[in-house]
Amino acid sequence: MAGSLKAPSPPRWLLAELTYSCPLQCPYCSNPLDYADFKEELSTDDWKRVLKQSREMGAVQLGFSGGEPLVRKDLVELVDYSHELGYYTNLITSGYNMDEAKIIELKEAGLDHIQISLQASSKELNDFIAGTESFEHKKVVAKLIKKHGYPMVLCVVLHRQNIHQMKDILEMAIELGADFVELANTQYYGWAHHNRDQLMPTQEQLTTAEAIANEYQASQKGKMKIYYIVPDFFEGRPKACMNGWGTTFLTIAPDGLALPCHSARQLPNFDCPSVRNHSISEIWNQSKAFNYFRGDDWMQEPCRSCPEKGKDFGGCHCQAFLLTGDATNADPVCDLSPLHHVVTDAIEQAATSAAEKPLVFRNSKNSKVF
Amino acid sequence: MSLQIDTAIHLSPTYRLQWEKAQDMFVLLYPEGLIELNQSSAEILQVCDGKNKLADIVSVLEQKFSTSGLESDITHFLNTALENGWITQST
Ligand code: SF4
Ligand code: SF4
Repeated sequence: MAGSLKAPSPPRWLLAELTYSCPLQCPYCSNPLDYADFKEELSTDDWKRVLKQSREMGAVQLGFSGGEPLVRKDLVELVDYSHELGYYTNLITSGYNMDEAKIIELKEAGLDHIQISLQASSKELNDFIAGTESFEHKKVVAKLIKKHGYPMVLCVVLHRQNIHQMKDILEMAIELGADFVELANTQYYGWAHHNRDQLMPTQEQLTTAEAIANEYQASQKGKMKIYYIVPDFFEGRPKACMNGWGTTFLTIAPDGLALPCHSARQLPNFDCPSVRNHSISEIWNQSKAFNYFRGDDWMQEPCRSCPEKGKDFGGCHCQAFLLTGDATNADPVCDLSPLHHVVTDAIEQAATSAAEKPLVFRNSKNSKVF
Repeated sequence: MSLQIDTAIHLSPTYRLQWEKAQDMFVLLYPEGLIELNQSSAEILQVCDGKNKLADIVSVLEQKFSTSGLESDITHFLNTALENGWITQST
């Protein structure tokens, strides 16, 4: 339907970023660098309105994320309400503030699934990356999640400092009884963009990691599903971002800003609308931000005449902006982009300068600097 | 792993089959995922109730649509569904 003027397809996925507060400090966090400036969180009633209106439009998958969604006092109430509306409810958590009573309470409220993230397979590295002692507790929580009958996704974000643990991470996932494992190479937005030189893996590391992922995918077939998410910087072609802009995904940030992509806040002159002033249907169907990259009229060359444009929609527009300064450029991870060298340069720069700079951890003190 | 003809078939516990009014179709929901089903897939999954075996599913659907000869299409779909983990046969 690209390029047509038909009514947009309805949102199917709602990502509710309940809060930017988080007890952890992951240096690859995709939250905005200046998150500490957005303190005014939506109220419980605001969230209920958003949930109801989005559901009426067709959203059925719902992710509660953040920050750390467990920080919100009304989480159980919101889960309960969403369950009643018929959503499939996913909780995306670090596990840090979780205990058995909460796991049971959420289950009774109708929570369908919990995704728990770990930072590494060893205590030392996990606690270093998380900036907080959390490893042993996370493992206890993972076991409790399974004990109470939830399907569990175990998520580990991969980067130069932990990717060598690939085998141990997968063994840990088996031990913890994960149903799905998401091994996601870091995407360079927010804090990860800032820490890119320290996080970027080498080609050699990636080749080894991918071979291990393939080996476990084969041996775990039918038991545990393993998603290995390749790093787009090394792929030569961009990902089909958000399954097409404004076609499937709707993100609501903690302060009520509605985003077609979780990084869209940073796009200049974009006027992302707020749920404080607009209904979800106005936002989805009429707002400038959600219509901006629908279809392909906005494209420049080489995308405009590219036979692959229906497959990747020109890649990620936020990445194009972050790396080239113009969101309507082809995503420069594409090797057909005349600016592809910014990506190869970044890989090279990381290889030579990684040791020179310290990681900047995600916390409000550091955030206030940006 | 292939389909056992003498064992009952049920939807895997991690999957949920649901009618979506806004989209006018059945969808299969699972952790962070969503599969939009065409009508025949939805009809088959609806009768994977943990009691029906392959032959029962075929006869229920042939009766419902007053037709015959559905066995090979249904078998083919159920094998794919099993492969994808949407259904299981363990008791
Ligand atoms: S990535 Fe880490 S710091 Fe960022 S919200 Fe998630 S757990 Fe918190
Ligand atoms: S030129 Fe544009 S449309 Fe073609 S493959 Fe590259 S990013 Fe995709």
